[in-house]
Amino acid sequence: MILALVVVTALGFDFTNGFHDTANAMATSIATRALRPKVAVLLSGVLNLAGAFLSVEVALTVTNAVVRIQDSSGTPKPELLAGGGGALLLIVLAGLVGGIVWNLLTWLLGLPSSSSHALFGGLIGATVAGLGWAGVNWNGDGSKLDGVVGKVVLPAIMSPVIAGVVAAAGTWLIYRVTVGVARRFTDNGFRWGQIGSASLVSLAHGTNDAQKTMGVITLALIAAGDWTDTGSVPFWVKAACALAIALGTYLGGWRIIRTLGKGLVEIAPPQGLAAESASAAVILASSHLGFALSTTHVATGSILGAGVGRPGAQVRWRVAGRMVAAWLITLPAAAVVGAVMWWIAHLLGDGLPGALAVFVILVAAAAGMYVRSRRAPVNHDNVNDEWEDARPAGRVPAGAAS
Amino acid sequence: MHNLGFALEGAWKVLAAGLLLGAGLPLLFALGIRSLAYGAGGDAEVHGSRPRPAGTVLGWMLFAVVLAGVLLGLTFIVASGFGKALSFEHVYPSIVDK
Repeated sequence: MILALVVVTALGFDFTNGFHDTANAMATSIATRALRPKVAVLLSGVLNLAGAFLSVEVALTVTNAVVRIQDSSGTPKPELLAGGGGALLLIVLAGLVGGIVWNLLTWLLGLPSSSSHALFGGLIGATVAGLGWAGVNWNGDGSKLDGVVGKVVLPAIMSPVIAGVVAAAGTWLIYRVTVGVARRFTDNGFRWGQIGSASLVSLAHGTNDAQKTMGVITLALIAAGDWTDTGSVPFWVKAACALAIALGTYLGGWRIIRTLGKGLVEIAPPQGLAAESASAAVILASSHLGFALSTTHVATGSILGAGVGRPGAQVRWRVAGRMVAAWLITLPAAAVVGAVMWWIAHLLGDGLPGALAVFVILVAAAAGMYVRSRRAPVNHDNVNDEWEDARPAGRVPAGAAS
Repeated sequence: MHNLGFALEGAWKVLAAGLLLGAGLPLLFALGIRSLAYGAGGDAEVHGSRPRPAGTVLGWMLFAVVLAGVLLGLTFIVASGFGKALSFEHVYPSIVDK
């Protein structure tokens, strides 16, 4: 029963992961009208689905980067398995709830925060609450890039800068090269380049992010004794995760798409191409080199870079500042939620009542934020409306909507 | 802080690869568009002139290079999904076991 709650919650997280990150790939194509909004999210959703099925390699050890609840082979720590694995399931459940709540809150505010940070933050918080500070893998063992510092904090600082530099260089070069070519001619050409590069980002996202949830669900199944193979993921888990992330992507986090596509800079097709190419190259190069980073940070850095690289373009640094602030607090905030959830479940006796209570809190919080979002909806009709600086940017992003 | 060292080591490689592929391929793409416009002549350029077929040919050749780069990226995604890796040992990319 607790296992079922964990699986449902994990799929819920995967779903929020999908709509939270649609913007990373498609915000530029939507803002430049290279693709109609509905077509863009459909394309991105399909590519995420394909990407999730492409990831055959097991990501069972995903939690090892930040917490110590598994061995390096992926087997849960034996001391957490007493009594049907309840201790481990509770940590995972509380961590997932922390991740989802933070993802929904940042979505409500239209802020592109990292879903991986939210998940890791939630897990760290729940682990600290459940196992104490030593349960967290803060700094690795010194042999490679590892731990909270190595896998989360340092990449988060470096990746937006790298992506920004690449995108700025690309944008500057493109504008230099196409001087003297008629605007109508360039825009049509760059439209195709943009669609291609954005598709690559979507596919890479599907392979990377859906895997994390697959790993978490499989870990829970092993803890509960329903699965023993640490070398593979059950097919239904893979299919369910792929569908959840694809559906989330298709739903489209319009609030975040709007912030990234319209809020930061006014993007022209050549900038869109430069930004998405930079994102795709940085994401692929870093996963090739084993340098873990967040798609969100890369995409945001790229779009900022594309704004800086175009002579005379306006970058709204206030919006960028809000985003950076959101990044900084994502991990600790999700950790606090994760920890509080664990304590609530713990006070109710570590068993089914506690897990149910946490789940009910999650549903209530999600419903509350959804209702709040209806007051100022952002959807495919108004996602490209003019950005008005006078309003508190992002908080009421649909201010211009009819 | 051993992690900082590892991270900086990874970061400059990512930056180099990113600049090469993430800014280099768009540059070729832009050159391709420039060549096509040069080839088409007329109102494709701000200062219109007569069509020059050589520009069209060069343009499509540049697009072919860009396409090859994109296919390399796709191969990488698919290969790593199946537990393989792309190796650049022999200069040209080949798929090997991880």
